[in-house]
Amino acid sequence: MMTPSSQEVTELLLAWRDGNEAALEKLLPLVYDELHRLAARYMRRESPGHTLQTSALVNEAFIRLIDQQQVHWQNRAHFFGIAAQLMRRILLDHARGQARAKRGGGLHRVSFDEGAIVSEQCAAELIALDDALNALAAFDSRKRRIVELRFFGGLSNEEVVEVMGMSLRTVEREWRKAKAWLHHAISEGETDEA
Amino acid sequence: MRPERWQQIDQLLEVALDHPPAERDAFLTKACAGDETLRRKVESLLRSDEAAQSFIEAPAVGLAAEVIAERQARLRTGQQLGHYQILSKLGAGGMGEVYLAQDTRLGRKVALKILPTRFTQDAERLRRFEQEARAASALNHPNILTIHEIGQVDATHYIVTEFIDGQPLRQRMNDVRLRLSEALDVAVQVASALAAAHEAGIVHRDIKPENIMLRRDGYVKVLDFGLAKLSEAPPEIIDMHAPIAAKVTTGFGAVMGTAPYMSPEQARGQSVDARSDIFSLGIVLYEMITGRAPFEGESSSDVIAALLAKEPLPLAECLAEVPRELEQLVAKTLCKDREKRYQSVNDLLVNLKAVNQDLEARTNGRGVISGEVAAVHRTSAEYLLNEIQHHKRAVFLALAILVIASVTLVYFEWPGKAIDSVAVLPFVNASADPNLEYLADGIPESISNSLSQLPHLKVMSRNSVFSFKGRNINAKEIGQKLGVRAVLTGTVTQQGENLMISLELVDTRDNSELWGQQYNRRLADVFAVQEEIAKEVSDKLRLKLTGAETQQLAKRPTENLKAFQYYVQGRAYAHRRTREDLLRAISYCEQAIKEDPNFALAYTGLSDAYSNLGVRGYIEPREGRRKSEEAARQALALDEGVAEAHAALGLVYTHYAPFNFSLGDRELRRAIELSPSLAMAHQYLATSLARQGRLEESLEETLKARELDPLSPIIARTVVLPYYLKRDYARALELLRQADQLGPPFTTLLEFGVYVKNGTLDETLGRLEKAKLERKDDPLLIYGIGIIYAAQGKRAEALQIIKQLEQMSGSSLIQAQWIARIYAGLNDREQALTWLERGLDAGANAGFVKDEPVWDPIRNDPRFTNLLVRMGIAT
Repeated sequence: MMTPSSQEVTELLLAWRDGNEAALEKLLPLVYDELHRLAARYMRRESPGHTLQTSALVNEAFIRLIDQQQVHWQNRAHFFGIAAQLMRRILLDHARGQARAKRGGGLHRVSFDEGAIVSEQCAAELIALDDALNALAAFDSRKRRIVELRFFGGLSNEEVVEVMGMSLRTVEREWRKAKAWLHHAISEGETDEA
Repeated sequence: MRPERWQQIDQLLEVALDHPPAERDAFLTKACAGDETLRRKVESLLRSDEAAQSFIEAPAVGLAAEVIAERQARLRTGQQLGHYQILSKLGAGGMGEVYLAQDTRLGRKVALKILPTRFTQDAERLRRFEQEARAASALNHPNILTIHEIGQVDATHYIVTEFIDGQPLRQRMNDVRLRLSEALDVAVQVASALAAAHEAGIVHRDIKPENIMLRRDGYVKVLDFGLAKLSEAPPEIIDMHAPIAAKVTTGFGAVMGTAPYMSPEQARGQSVDARSDIFSLGIVLYEMITGRAPFEGESSSDVIAALLAKEPLPLAECLAEVPRELEQLVAKTLCKDREKRYQSVNDLLVNLKAVNQDLEARTNGRGVISGEVAAVHRTSAEYLLNEIQHHKRAVFLALAILVIASVTLVYFEWPGKAIDSVAVLPFVNASADPNLEYLADGIPESISNSLSQLPHLKVMSRNSVFSFKGRNINAKEIGQKLGVRAVLTGTVTQQGENLMISLELVDTRDNSELWGQQYNRRLADVFAVQEEIAKEVSDKLRLKLTGAETQQLAKRPTENLKAFQYYVQGRAYAHRRTREDLLRAISYCEQAIKEDPNFALAYTGLSDAYSNLGVRGYIEPREGRRKSEEAARQALALDEGVAEAHAALGLVYTHYAPFNFSLGDRELRRAIELSPSLAMAHQYLATSLARQGRLEESLEETLKARELDPLSPIIARTVVLPYYLKRDYARALELLRQADQLGPPFTTLLEFGVYVKNGTLDETLGRLEKAKLERKDDPLLIYGIGIIYAAQGKRAEALQIIKQLEQMSGSSLIQAQWIARIYAGLNDREQALTWLERGLDAGANAGFVKDEPVWDPIRNDPRFTNLLVRMGIAT
């Protein structure tokens, strides 16, 4: 049974933050378990109406993984920025893996961990979103960041305000416009426009 | 998109959004000033804005939960679904989770299967499923699983079928090699089922050992008619090059059979009819008879290639004595050209029966199926109940299972290897009554003890497990810290006369639930509950119990609830090790004995407490030894099978001089034999071996103890001993520092020796002084200071310490050995030897280890040799 040491995770995370992409590849499988657990907890929550603070869940997952002493999160922005990016990477990794398997004629009964069956639809949506988000980032990285924090990191608008240091109104506006653009990009299938 | 262009669009969009919808048109006309492209852009974004109201509003974790975690619906035990009450989870597989439920209307047990969300979200699939289920439910045949109902509650779609008390054919094939007669009988029953289905126009399409259930009473039931269609995607999607997952693989996930059971036409993606089922049945039959698959290969494509092109090995080559008719029969079912196969199951049935009859005639009717089936399963409920009733003497505080649980179940795909290590955590007392605490502690401990007796299961020791009491359970963390694969947690509450215990067995690799159960019993039945739990757990851990082991689990240590309560409380105190607590422990154990004079474990509790009192010098060592031995013997007189009593006795012989190592080791090994997970027994043995100079063996035992009780500070310190004795002082120091992380320092004599030999005199002195501030009267600390002074050559100060120690021990000479050590440290050989002799006379030389470096100054003296002889240590 392999469980990553928080030191290992932390070092890789820092390396990634500092630009080492290879570090992320090593990091992903290590944190996978933790996020799995997190996701399972999310699924198990008592009643659908009970709003679980997603950011709290993500927060918790990261605290478990990271050696708090070693990493000094300069500010919450820093922490949540990384967390959100990581979450995005993990999800997409998973989703793209699914899509590959399916396209190449993967086993029709793709079993992942305890018979978890991946929703093909789900994976496809995620990939489309990711592609659109990448396209958006090319000319508006601020919106990209907000989407990452909100959607992947699970932060509320208010929390995004705190993290990015903008006004609430700006965050709300940016979020709304980003959504519109992404929705458009995904449904029209076009991302590059003159 | 160029950034500047985007900025333009972005700004326009923003302002447009600020305008009420009706005014946007006008605004855009003005703002875009003829740039139609721009206008169209913004308008399309405005439209998207409308459509995107709830788009990605829900955070990805929800999505992640669906992508990463199980997509299948889950229910909790005790939950109500319509008029069904969920009793327990039977299993899970690719087709959804299956639960044992109670039909509250009809008052019967049923199996309730939840359909995975991915199916139910696809309306077309769902409709087809319902159609097929309806058709299948119309099939009324003794060999076809009866479908009671399909239903829906909120978003949960479920199907309710009869509950089968038995096991899948797959498991049976894993367990034993089937006899020919049994294989034929199974085939006949499956063929009967198929005949009925084919008549009704239904083809099964997924005949395989996982879908064939063997009921305890000999009936065979075929499952998943109709559902088969739901689960399979058209064959073209099968990855021809993916390796076939091994059957016994990770503990995860659906089992993939080692050979697909599909027919050639299925593999080719052609249409499928009744003859396809015949082929599949042929494969199953072949496998049952020969114990191997007819078409083998390393990957799906290999197997399919074999399936399409190769002929299977003739039965005669795999088995002696195969009737020719059978050989022909199997060959005909496995014809690749379906025109040449049996055209109808009825024909196959006729042949099968004929072969079966022939066989019976030949073997004189031996090998009757129902008899075999019964033999395969574990002892029947009646048998075990009788055993328990005849069991007069209260024995090991073990929990056994009333076989009802043991033969239950089996409605799932078996994921693989047994889990071989478990930690039973103290339960959470969720009631308002603090008095229930004893149950919250006692029940898990009983379960632990019970499971400890199983040889293939590593059960974590109480010490280590107790450190997690009251903390938030993170199974993974616990798994890592203790090195266990599974954790059992529970909650205890009381409602009037009733006790409610709610349990969860969790896999520590991923926090998934292996089993969950709720027990609702009268308080007086607590022992019965514990028994059930222990067996259920060992079942869920997939341990195969021998008959003897099952019986062992069935022993109850006491029937007396009050006695049990006293005992548990006594244990709690005993673990604290202070003088007062140990005395309290004794008092509680005595009360337990008063309640139930046959309660063997209570005597071992006494023995344990006296031992600790004597060893620490809280009472006269001689008295401690005597009383400890007496209590241990009483326990053994009541029941020889109590491991802890043997361990206690073993300790007496190996810890107090004069030693009797052969007797003592024998007792300790017997304890280990009875309860391989008894950490303390390993530890006592380790110390005994160290005393005898058998250092490598000692180390081996200590490591075993540590594996069972990784958080025990005592055991961690015991690891130091062999290295210290081998004079590997650096390593000893390293290990000692590790041990200090688990518990307070300066609790054993050898520690000071390690510090002295490593030369860290001043530092240790400083730490000792600090420790003295908290533990003022601790004589060990005073000794420690003394031995350091001696090492530093501070003679006068050391002598003062000796005086102090003398005064502390008074006439009982408890610390005689310690004083001897300080004298040895001062090179005062005469005095050292004298004090050792005095100590031996007073019976106070407990814990003496001859190879300790501290005795080097006097080792060569004949008086020393003489002492060793008197102590029973062979030189």
